Amino acid sequence: MVRSRNATLYAGLTIFGVFVLMALLAPLVAPYDPIFQDAAARLKAPSLAHPFGTDNFGRDILSRVIHAVRIDLQMALIGVAFPFAIGTVVGAISGFLGGLVDAVLMRLIDVILAFPFLVLMLSIIAILGPGLGSFYIAMALVGWVSYARLIRAQILVLKNSDYAMAAESLGFSKARILFRHLLPNAVAGSIVFSMSDVVLVLLSGAAISYLGLGVQPPTAEWGVMVAEGQGFVTQAWWITLFPGLSIVVLAFGFSLLGDGLAKWLGVNG
Amino acid sequence: MTTTLSPATPLLAVRDLSVAVDAPEGLRTLLDSVSIEIGRGEVLGLVGESGSGKSLLCRTLVGLMPSTAIRRTAGSILLGGQEIAGANETALQAIRGARIGMIFQNPTSHLDPVMRIGDQIVEGIRFHQGLSREAAKSLALDIMGQVGFTDPPRQFSSYAHEFSGGMRQRAMIAVALACNPEILIADEPTTALDVTIQAQILHLLLDLRTRRGLSLILVTHDLGVVAQTCDRIAVMRHGRIVETGAKRQILKDPQADYTRTLIASHPSMPAKLDAGLAVAHSGEARQGAGRPLIEIDDLAVRFPAGGGLFSKRRNFSAVEGVSLQIWPGETVGIVGESGSGKSTLARAMLGLTPASSGHVSFDGASLGLQRAEALRALRTQAAMVFQDPYNSLNPRMTIGETLAEVLSVQKKIPAAQIQERVGELLDLVELDRNFAYRKPRTMSGGQCQRAGIARALAIDPRVIVADECTAALDVTIQAQIVALFRKLVATMDLTLVFIAHDLPVIRSLCRRVIVMHHGRIVEEGLSEDVFAHPREAYTAGLIDAIPDIDPDRPLSGRSTP
Repeated sequence: MVRSRNATLYAGLTIFGVFVLMALLAPLVAPYDPIFQDAAARLKAPSLAHPFGTDNFGRDILSRVIHAVRIDLQMALIGVAFPFAIGTVVGAISGFLGGLVDAVLMRLIDVILAFPFLVLMLSIIAILGPGLGSFYIAMALVGWVSYARLIRAQILVLKNSDYAMAAESLGFSKARILFRHLLPNAVAGSIVFSMSDVVLVLLSGAAISYLGLGVQPPTAEWGVMVAEGQGFVTQAWWITLFPGLSIVVLAFGFSLLGDGLAKWLGVNG
Repeated sequence: MTTTLSPATPLLAVRDLSVAVDAPEGLRTLLDSVSIEIGRGEVLGLVGESGSGKSLLCRTLVGLMPSTAIRRTAGSILLGGQEIAGANETALQAIRGARIGMIFQNPTSHLDPVMRIGDQIVEGIRFHQGLSREAAKSLALDIMGQVGFTDPPRQFSSYAHEFSGGMRQRAMIAVALACNPEILIADEPTTALDVTIQAQILHLLLDLRTRRGLSLILVTHDLGVVAQTCDRIAVMRHGRIVETGAKRQILKDPQADYTRTLIASHPSMPAKLDAGLAVAHSGEARQGAGRPLIEIDDLAVRFPAGGGLFSKRRNFSAVEGVSLQIWPGETVGIVGESGSGKSTLARAMLGLTPASSGHVSFDGASLGLQRAEALRALRTQAAMVFQDPYNSLNPRMTIGETLAEVLSVQKKIPAAQIQERVGELLDLVELDRNFAYRKPRTMSGGQCQRAGIARALAIDPRVIVADECTAALDVTIQAQIVALFRKLVATMDLTLVFIAHDLPVIRSLCRRVIVMHHGRIVEEGLSEDVFAHPREAYTAGLIDAIPDIDPDRPLSGRSTP
């Protein structure tokens, strides 16, 4: 009933869909090879031949922005999926079992939260060496704590609900009560949160790449592109503007998706 | 307060009031040509089940529509001869509180939790009567005394959460009175309260009527409450007034079919089935024959309460020294006010809450000594039905999935027969088989409760423990659920433990009754004996506090707590 009026959800889905299509069809849509260097066309302002202009190596910005969708989308999704999965399982078990298990896991979370997010990420990546793989591992190791806390709080409430007690009185196993009855009802809030978390992951991915610890040049990635264009901001604003805008638009799309999902799933806040 | 109106002019007159909501498919009528009147000092009872438009009518009177899509389409509202329908917001604000006050069912959510009770009363006095702070405070203390606070100067600085439900309701009445209204609308003011507290609050309202010349609109689904308090009754259904008139006339000689149904389903009416059922039971459940199905011996359940980092942990006893036997085929009612330990006893009985001391045995196996064995027996032979029909069903599963899951976990029937059995279970609880595909939130409270009962029946139980399972339902639905239980017990060789704070329901359903107070059993015996000749003063107090549908059997209970 409410679904038909959920414009936010559809707007978010549309933006997300456009980016997915761009990623899938990148070689077909992009007018040039993203790493082809045209020495004759360096630092060209946006024109009909190069709608987003070219950078200091003469590479077409539009083509690079389009190819970068593949990396950035993957980064956003994988960067959220692992923390989400780990956090959900840990939080559910912690909240459901309580007692010593809960105390130990919650103190571990406190320890992780005691370090600034980026500092912890950077030190893990520094140990593992630069690259996307290290980024995902660092993300998974650091990012799960918020999900664990969210899910735990939900489970704490739900395990006292009448249907949990009904399930227990009907002889359901603990695992069945937790995973079939409590978790599906607890997870909606986390799904919504994960959409806003995608934005965060996207930005930290870009930040890590900007620092030279993530995606390595010459691969096209928005963060890397912003970093590369930084030196030319005064002469060639287009090098940083377009990848920057792409981050904003994709992030905006995920925000809308998050709000729309919240409405659809009936989550408050 | 002087009366300028002639006695013939009603204080409030509503004529042909219609209210509609803008729905996608067009305008849908919620209130259809409603006309009511109320004179000064009169008590009007507005009766009907939920969804009949009672509350919407009250909100329309003060222009507080629950949504902007809902609006008045026709009719007039005359307050003291002056038209207030369609008045602007400023005019309505002067009327709300000052001339028409409101109190609600749930005082907890209508009192400000972070503001002292006294200040909430003072706020109303200062806003509507423009008194100085000192004058307002002394008036507030006076009002608090009137509504039965025992120590107003001290309670003035208390917060809502420090009071019991009954005292909170008194506080809300005080806040409403602070504006000195001519009409007080009380929307189900006692529904959430125990019978004895309910009697006190009703006495208080009547008292205020006599002392202040207040007119009361009492919205309720309980005809007993109406019979005890009102001068006139208006019966509502589907947004229309189906019948209106003097109380005695309507109760004695109802004209509309719906009013007759309402009166017949009131639990204080003797149930016709009773006699036959009692006989059937005394045959089946002969005490001493065989062994009790559930045996409880000196049970205590305590919860850690209070105490913190530096103070000593103390225990709160929910149940203390309870011994009890339940025989196969019996229907046993457990009654008591909220906080008396009924629900804890039920949970301990089913091994859902651990006993602090004492023994619980099910079918001869002790939960303390042969835990695994006793739990296995309990989980396959005992089921529970809960109070809140929505909260007790998993909101993400359809009724069919819920029932099928129980059947497949219990493994009492082959997997191939599960779908068929789900249908049979729905038949048993008189739900259409299509309900298998519906989720709880698309169903009414009564339908959810039937689904909850079907789930209990799915394990093919020997015992069902029903914990306040009619408390959240309307009277007519309540009567249907009780009738369903009666049918199930009569046809299925079922032992029923029925927990309720509502004595009439227990009286009409259970053969034996157990009265609990402060975690202990104060009285037990056959229902007819206990209700006719209670031995304990506490039980007698509970029984006297039931609002009887006969207006000539007055309500007991004092107006001060």
